[in-house]
Amino acid sequence: MPSSEKERRAQRRSRDPSPSRGHRGGRWDWSSAETRGRLEELYFREQDYIRAGSEDSRQFWAFFERLQLFQTLKAEGEPALRAPPARADPSAAPGLAGLPQEYDPRYRINLSVLSGEVEGLARGRSRGPRRGPGVPAERLSQFRAALLHYLDFAQKQSFAKLAKLQRERAALPIAQYRDRLLRAVAQNQVVVVAGDTGCGKSTQVPQYLLAAGYSHVACTQPRRIACISLAKRVGFESLHRYGAEVGYQIRFESTRSPATKIVFLTEGLLLRHVQREPALPGYQVLIADEVHERHLHSDFLLGVLRRLLPARPDLKLVLMSATINIRLFAGYFGGAPVVQVPGRLFPITVVYQPIPQEEAAASGKPERLDPRPYLRVLQAIDHKYPPEERGDLLVFLSGVAEIGAVLEAAQAYATHTQRWVVLPLHSTLSIAEQDKVFDMPPPGVRKCIVSTNIAETSVTIDGVRFVLDSGKVKELSYDPQAKLQRLQEFWISRASAEQRKGRAGRTGPGVCYRLYAESDYDAFAPYPVPEIQRVALDALVLQMKSMGLGDPRTFPFLEPPPQSSLETAVRYLREQGALDGAESLTPIGSLLAQLPVDVVIGKMLVLGALFGLAGPVLTVAAALSVQSPFLRPTRTNPDCATARRPLESPHGDPLTLLNTFNEWVQVKSERAGGSRKWCRRRGLEEHRLYEAANLRRQFQELLRDHGLLGAVQGPRDSSARQSRHRERRELHHLRRRHEETEGRKRKVLKLQGGETGSSSDEGAGAGRAGPPGVDIQDVKFKLRHNVDELQAAAGTALSSHQLALLKLVLCRGLYPQLAAPDQYNSCRKDSDQIFHTKNKQGIVLHPTCIFAGSPELLQTTEEKAEPGRSRGSQEGLGSRHQLLAFVSLLETNKPYLVNCLRAPALPALLLFSRALDTSADCTRLVADSWLELCVLDSEAALRLLSTALQLRAAWEGLLNRQLEGRRGEPGRGPDLREVATLRQRLLEFLQHKVQYSLRRLTALEKQNLYVGPQTVAAAPGLPGLFQGAEMTPDEEKGGYRVTEFLTYNCLTSDTDLYSDCLRSFWTCPHCALYMPFTPLERMNHESSCRPQPQEAPPEEAAESPAKATALQRPYHCDACERDFMFTSTEILRHRKQHQ
Amino acid sequence: MDSHKEAQPKGDFECQLCGLTAPYSYYGQKPPNTHSVVLLEESYVMKDPFVPDKDKFLILGSQCSLCNRRVCVGTECSLFYSKRFCLPCVNENLQEFPLEIRQDLDKRKSHSKSHPSKKADART
Ligand SMILES: [Zn+2]
Ligand SMILES: [Zn+2]
Repeated sequence: MPSSEKERRAQRRSRDPSPSRGHRGGRWDWSSAETRGRLEELYFREQDYIRAGSEDSRQFWAFFERLQLFQTLKAEGEPALRAPPARADPSAAPGLAGLPQEYDPRYRINLSVLSGEVEGLARGRSRGPRRGPGVPAERLSQFRAALLHYLDFAQKQSFAKLAKLQRERAALPIAQYRDRLLRAVAQNQVVVVAGDTGCGKSTQVPQYLLAAGYSHVACTQPRRIACISLAKRVGFESLHRYGAEVGYQIRFESTRSPATKIVFLTEGLLLRHVQREPALPGYQVLIADEVHERHLHSDFLLGVLRRLLPARPDLKLVLMSATINIRLFAGYFGGAPVVQVPGRLFPITVVYQPIPQEEAAASGKPERLDPRPYLRVLQAIDHKYPPEERGDLLVFLSGVAEIGAVLEAAQAYATHTQRWVVLPLHSTLSIAEQDKVFDMPPPGVRKCIVSTNIAETSVTIDGVRFVLDSGKVKELSYDPQAKLQRLQEFWISRASAEQRKGRAGRTGPGVCYRLYAESDYDAFAPYPVPEIQRVALDALVLQMKSMGLGDPRTFPFLEPPPQSSLETAVRYLREQGALDGAESLTPIGSLLAQLPVDVVIGKMLVLGALFGLAGPVLTVAAALSVQSPFLRPTRTNPDCATARRPLESPHGDPLTLLNTFNEWVQVKSERAGGSRKWCRRRGLEEHRLYEAANLRRQFQELLRDHGLLGAVQGPRDSSARQSRHRERRELHHLRRRHEETEGRKRKVLKLQGGETGSSSDEGAGAGRAGPPGVDIQDVKFKLRHNVDELQAAAGTALSSHQLALLKLVLCRGLYPQLAAPDQYNSCRKDSDQIFHTKNKQGIVLHPTCIFAGSPELLQTTEEKAEPGRSRGSQEGLGSRHQLLAFVSLLETNKPYLVNCLRAPALPALLLFSRALDTSADCTRLVADSWLELCVLDSEAALRLLSTALQLRAAWEGLLNRQLEGRRGEPGRGPDLREVATLRQRLLEFLQHKVQYSLRRLTALEKQNLYVGPQTVAAAPGLPGLFQGAEMTPDEEKGGYRVTEFLTYNCLTSDTDLYSDCLRSFWTCPHCALYMPFTPLERMNHESSCRPQPQEAPPEEAAESPAKATALQRPYHCDACERDFMFTSTEILRHRKQHQ
Repeated sequence: MDSHKEAQPKGDFECQLCGLTAPYSYYGQKPPNTHSVVLLEESYVMKDPFVPDKDKFLILGSQCSLCNRRVCVGTECSLFYSKRFCLPCVNENLQEFPLEIRQDLDKRKSHSKSHPSKKADART
């Protein structure tokens, strides 16, 4: 303890009003860097409470200056008024006896800084304090006094925050319902909490439950971002009382630990838990938040939970909803009690300002939004409200194009008035651009945020006082017939309109302008259409099947989806091979049900793993599952297209994505932090590449968990391990430093003269705060991923064989999502190329598609150059017809094909068609009843068909064995030699050059396609056709069913009458048998005569060691000019030898 | 850094006057990792939840030196003048305190009258 006498003296001196007075030597300057440095050396050492150079020390000096100023003023203001000492009352309590008689503010501070050591040091360094470089004792105590005041001030500040936090919690409307809620939960299995925005239910209910002693609480959220922010908020509000006990879990991240008592997670993730453990044994209380939003997963989750409750009488369920349609939820759970909490919004004035009829009519092109009604509102605000009264404007529009129109006009207006900063907000903007809406406008200027409905619930912006509502929304709606997503504009619901309006009253009274009439409002639907009624249900049905929920058609949904959507989904899953004829899960189906991705993408993953193409397929699947990283090219940056060109693949968009991702990984591993700039130059949103990397890793783990991929090997030698360890430590350190300095300081927006509402300079991308020059996203990326492994996967270019196989795998995954080019495309302008799918005609390529810019890639160019066209002049004959496999169909103003891959038509159709119908000589083939292929040479046709049959059987067999073998039975996996043989034969198959024509059937032709059931039983009497498959007459089409997909001789045609008996001489290439055959007999002979699978082709067998793993792939080393079968790590190790 | 484990909460501190409740991780005069800083009274202390630095602490409250009530350091509940006094005790013994403190209390009283209840419902 410091002597109090000394303290007091020091204190008195520190009140010296003019700090530079009274020092006889040179002037004492508190603000000189040297002085401060010396004091920091003494007091702000590494082990001290405040460290030199820290943010804390900067704040101290700022405080110090204020304190000096204050003391100077005070000394001048009340010069010599000495308070009379308190009277010492002998009758006072004994505890008061020692109170200091003479007042000193120092006595009010309840902490002290130990000083003995420091002062000794200061004196020791400066014998004779007046002359040496030391600090005079007087100054030292002045400094110490200030330090104490600062510490006290910091305590007061933090305590005030704490008190405010608790006051605010107590003042939330829900606080008054706490006991009622807890009682209801104690007495009932299901409770509904209904309360509007601002009532505090999302943050408080979990805390109430924890405080009441419940644990193992899960709280579901529709949005990932809400899981993170709520976990942080609840952890913070509860003052980290629960420490690691509050966590969140989302697709790529989890802060969950065994100690976790409450976890915030997405609805989808909880459903996955149910899938694994149907009774959810790990949970005591489930809170389903925002159920009124009626997301697909949310609705489904409620259905699943309702079934689960009787089996888990100890499980509590709390539904939380806005005050929308509460009876629906309460009723669904057998009349559950409702705790209704009033919301807390400030009054909002509604101004109906419908667009005048003549203006609406005169706006000409319906595609272009007329911005005038919107500008009028900006003007009205300028007119009515003085600029000193702060408050921003939030405009709700239906889509990006509409935002563009209003943005342009509003920015022109803003440039003119200098009173607005106009900012767009929609999900396709880069993250940095989205973030700008949170920045502050300069004084006297308002923000005008032009947004989609993303700002209705997902993004909350403080300071909004005005809302301008167009009343429109664009939503994806699903056409189950065409299996087509449509983006259409609708009027919003009354519930949405209220939600939008409410955004104006969060921080004070507000105004909501509606660009529609009150009568329109009254005519709106009461609620938005639940998602389950407007989206594709494939994934849902698949998940229901894998959860053993029985027939989805009879499942008791909260509100059932349209029957047709369910039927389409079931049919689609059957087509995709995920369900069998009895609608039970196939092996591949049950695996797909566990992959949190689109069925099509899941299939690619499984197929890719078989051929050792896991690396590229993982990347493609991940990149296709996130939003496209390609930002819309802006007018301001034409260089972008040029910079992107080397990434573009002539094979299609999935491969462009693969190139982009691989190149990005290379850039990241070569120059740390350089990737941000690299992305910016190419107009790429780096965040989405990070997401793809995360997703890729998740897929990889899933495949590993399911035994479809070998385990990873870490670096084996210890020096590599050590250096990796060192690197990780360094990265951890960087991340921690970033977290410590992470300020939520908002930047101030610049008033723009030009066109962009830009507040940040070029460099302000992802790394907002933190040590300069460190890209925190890059640091996190390197911590999360094994960059070496990624780089090895990304660094090796695919051989032409691998590329061909990869395309085949992707195409098989995408099948039957195929489009055929229109026959007149060669006469059309580049931008007018038209395509058709089986069910939908006249589709165009999405502008982002590579083929939209280079349609020549799809032309079958060799037509004219082909010499051997002797027989007839069949139109469109060629050997390179292309089809487009696509990932999705999207309809906005036109139907678009999104993410296309081109595929050779004949091999693709022969290998993948669900139905393949032939003429008698097999020169005419119809695939899936819509595409006709006419092969010039019947012998070639037969050979191809017969090969295709064998390949399909082999491929299917291997795939099934792979799926069966994944349950840890080592002997049951596919034979690697057989895989290699299949690879080789598939590649040979792709190389066959056959002249054929490709044509879509007309509607009339489709009607008269088949001969129909035949009365004459003309069974060909050839037993064991196609390796024992029995040939039975097809009852519908006519002809004979050879396999599940192949029907022989069922097509109506002129030559059919004779074909059965038309024999011609033929030599079997295998046994050299020479005799007359009908085509059918010939196929039969060939398939039975075909030798057993040959030796694995030399390419694979040569270097392949005895136990090749699935991780190995061919690698050609340029240095030693040899080919190997290597894993990624082996490649790295091999490369090191050459260095 | 790894040596600085998150301090485990010891229990809840609750002010007997205003009901403010918070988990404390230390009770005493020398909170961990604070080096040269010492407290002049036995206090309930937690890690300051408002700053990212793990070593910064926050004093929640202590016992009134006269009546032993547990009180928070909020100005509405207690004051420190070489020792901790809860406001009820200060008011009972007002004359024992120097003029500065009395003036301070008067000022605060009139202030809180003109702004009743600090607008607890201002915003979330
Ligand atoms: Zn208190
Ligand atoms: Zn007391």
